[in-house]
Amino acid sequence: MNLSEVAHKVLEKVSGRVSSAQVTVSRGESTPVSFEADKLKAIKTSRTVIIGLKVISEGRLGEAQVTDPEDLDRLVDMALSSAKFGREADYVFPNQPPPEVKLYDGEVAKLAAERLIDACREMLELVKDYNPEITVYAYANKWVGETYMANTSGLDFRGEGTSYSIGVHGELTREGDILMAGYGRGWRRAEIDPSEVAGRTVEKFRMAERVVQVRSGRMPVLFTSEGLEVLLLSLRLGLSGKNVLLGSSPLSGKLGEEIADPRISLTDSGVEDYRMGSGHYDEDGVPTGRTLLIEKGVLRNFLYDLDTATRAGKEPTGNTNCSPNNWLISAGDVPNDEILRDLKEGVVVYDVLGLGQGNPISGEFSVNLALGYKVENGEVVGRVKNTMLAGNVYEALKHVLAVGSRAEWVGGTLYAPPVLVDGLSVVSKG
Amino acid sequence: MRERLEEALRKGKADYVEIRIEEVEATAVAFKGKEIDTLSASKVRGGIARAVVRGGWGMAVFNDLKELSDAVRRACELAGLVGREETRLAEVEPVQEVAGAELRGRDFRGVLLDEKVRTTKEYNDIMLRHHPKIESTETRYRDSFRRVWYVNSEGTYIEDERPDISMYMTAIARDGDNVQKVTERAISHGGFETVEGLQERAERAARRAVELLSAPPVRGGVYTVVLDPRLAGVFAHEAFGHLSEADFVYENPRLKELLVLGRRFGVEDVTIVDDGTIPGLYGTIKYDDEGVPAEKTYLLKEGVLVGRLHNRETSAKMGEPLTGNARAQGYSSEPIVRMTNTYIEPGKVPFEDMLSGIKLGVYAVDMVGGQTMMEMFTFSAGWGYMIRDGRIEELVRDVVLTGNLFETLKNIEAVGDDLRWDHGHCGKGGQTAPVSTGSPHIRIRNVVVGGRR
Repeated sequence: MNLSEVAHKVLEKVSGRVSSAQVTVSRGESTPVSFEADKLKAIKTSRTVIIGLKVISEGRLGEAQVTDPEDLDRLVDMALSSAKFGREADYVFPNQPPPEVKLYDGEVAKLAAERLIDACREMLELVKDYNPEITVYAYANKWVGETYMANTSGLDFRGEGTSYSIGVHGELTREGDILMAGYGRGWRRAEIDPSEVAGRTVEKFRMAERVVQVRSGRMPVLFTSEGLEVLLLSLRLGLSGKNVLLGSSPLSGKLGEEIADPRISLTDSGVEDYRMGSGHYDEDGVPTGRTLLIEKGVLRNFLYDLDTATRAGKEPTGNTNCSPNNWLISAGDVPNDEILRDLKEGVVVYDVLGLGQGNPISGEFSVNLALGYKVENGEVVGRVKNTMLAGNVYEALKHVLAVGSRAEWVGGTLYAPPVLVDGLSVVSKG
Repeated sequence: MRERLEEALRKGKADYVEIRIEEVEATAVAFKGKEIDTLSASKVRGGIARAVVRGGWGMAVFNDLKELSDAVRRACELAGLVGREETRLAEVEPVQEVAGAELRGRDFRGVLLDEKVRTTKEYNDIMLRHHPKIESTETRYRDSFRRVWYVNSEGTYIEDERPDISMYMTAIARDGDNVQKVTERAISHGGFETVEGLQERAERAARRAVELLSAPPVRGGVYTVVLDPRLAGVFAHEAFGHLSEADFVYENPRLKELLVLGRRFGVEDVTIVDDGTIPGLYGTIKYDDEGVPAEKTYLLKEGVLVGRLHNRETSAKMGEPLTGNARAQGYSSEPIVRMTNTYIEPGKVPFEDMLSGIKLGVYAVDMVGGQTMMEMFTFSAGWGYMIRDGRIEELVRDVVLTGNLFETLKNIEAVGDDLRWDHGHCGKGGQTAPVSTGSPHIRIRNVVVGGRR
């Protein structure tokens, strides 16, 4: 199947029947390898095709998707009929040049399944070397794909992409206690060091060798780069231009105001080379770029897709659904390994349960520490269990004690340093 | 289709091969605030071939049906790379069945888009109009009609149709920085009647969201908690049900030891069951996605672990009976061990008696989500009421319960006589599945309740 041919066939079929239309045809192949309970369990390959069409007809938006290139008439019918009742749309799909960003690494395409198996096996063995009683789960996955985007304004773009990710987690069961911990990494290049990924997992188990009690009360909490998700979930909702327009974001009307400690700066970027959240265009054909959201604690901008930007009278930022591409949090001035030094008592957060169950847009959170540690006199002394952490993201952001001087990529789309926050509520059963 | 599938199957060189093809036509309508947010339609077709060679699994997913034979070949090759042991799958009687959907009500495929939009808008408007403090809403309608073709190398052939329809109505109330959100939903494998007549439910969501604005957050601490049936059903599903799924136990010797059948985990009053055969519930299936008929399976009987949920491989490897719980989200996913309809059997305690003797406690109602990690669980009630001296008192919000499953099962003090069902989706391993959960009211002592104060 020729993607360009399919896209142009669709545009021909809608020509004259709509005021604007955009087709996106994507094809890709992924190959996930999984190890379960210390053993190679399965290899899967997925070859997928999706053909999406957005049309604007008589000022209303219609959308449809099919998987079969034989179904193009159906695609057009579905899109046109949904446009009859669809959302009012006072714009046309744009035609702007793509930004510079690297998304493809030929080395990923060359990775054979055996190489993925080897990476998993190496991680597995390193975790077993530390403690053979840990039951190990590992994965490696590669993806190679291409996208063709064309619209009635003349956009005619073909993009290629790759991604590669590996990870390992372990499970250690003792009477009355089950510990799960792991680490994974992904980006668009073929180079990820399995020994470093395994080393991160081992480090978490090492710190958890002792289980300790923490008292209930207010205390400082260190969010590691991984643990920062607790704070970022609410910010993603709050910084969405759509939620701002609807009035449901607590940040509505606060542009120019100080919403966080001056050490906090946050930028959205779709143009970081080889990062998972990067891309040339968002779903509507708007080029991606960088958007400064929080500058030294001051709220500077929100994320806008084409529709929301049009309604709000703002510039679109190249963010599909007003959701983040990659987020970059600026590093601070305290060396990462000294950030706990002056802490008499506190908690370190890596992973939580129950995030987003409450009312995340309000900023309030109340989560269970799935993987967290207690700090005493500047040292991690052991893992804490049956402990809840609660607070409000917007209050927490104003009570920053320290920001680490070294940021790192986590989860493929976040570049962040560890952040120490004061006065969060810890409730422990013990 | 049958001939094509059987022909492709014959090209497979493996101990076992199966193919599942699905075709799904879906419509989605969403209102956010005053306006329609999305309206989209889709027609998606694809399939998955799975093969086992010497105990190793290979899988190939495809959208293009012309790749069918190639997918079988690739799945077999990949399985060959993986397998190092012997293939063990529990025996199952081959079946031949062509089943159609039983849409007794209004077939949503015949309902015009216009009516789907109007119905969704009506509920959305009811919530928006309810009170000036209702700042926003989100009302989502979705229907999908799924046709499934399944064939395996042991002679099973199944054709099935699975309609699915839902309406989610969320009211968001705001007072300054205080934002409260309440969702009501209707969901089934039935027809359009599922989403008709929900005006009162929409009103209720809006009313509750406004009430919660003035409710204080619960004070964090350790309480005796009474769970309403909806929340208790989620507890049974999240906290206990997932541990009963054999796929994470069967190759882990330590977990097998911990979760050995015959071990007592709870008090005598507690019996938990998974039953995929109950007509009309959302988790009900005739066959699972390995062609195994659904069953009723006791998980916890009078506090003792007596069974668990299996696919064909875990059943063979653990030497326990097949239960028909291998379910896949869609054509691109392999079946994994999932619950169907999971419930706590009703006991004898009337609700009024359950409250008596509680000096200070929390009555936790409704649920907005739950998550487990092994024996740790966290789930969030929609709201709650303080219980003082055996009486239900003020409304409170931000009621999040957390704990250790094994301790909590032993801390159940009373099981009510009022079983009620609820329907929703369960997520596991990146896949969601339709499930029902059920329970009467239950009372548990010593539960950690998170709060901001």
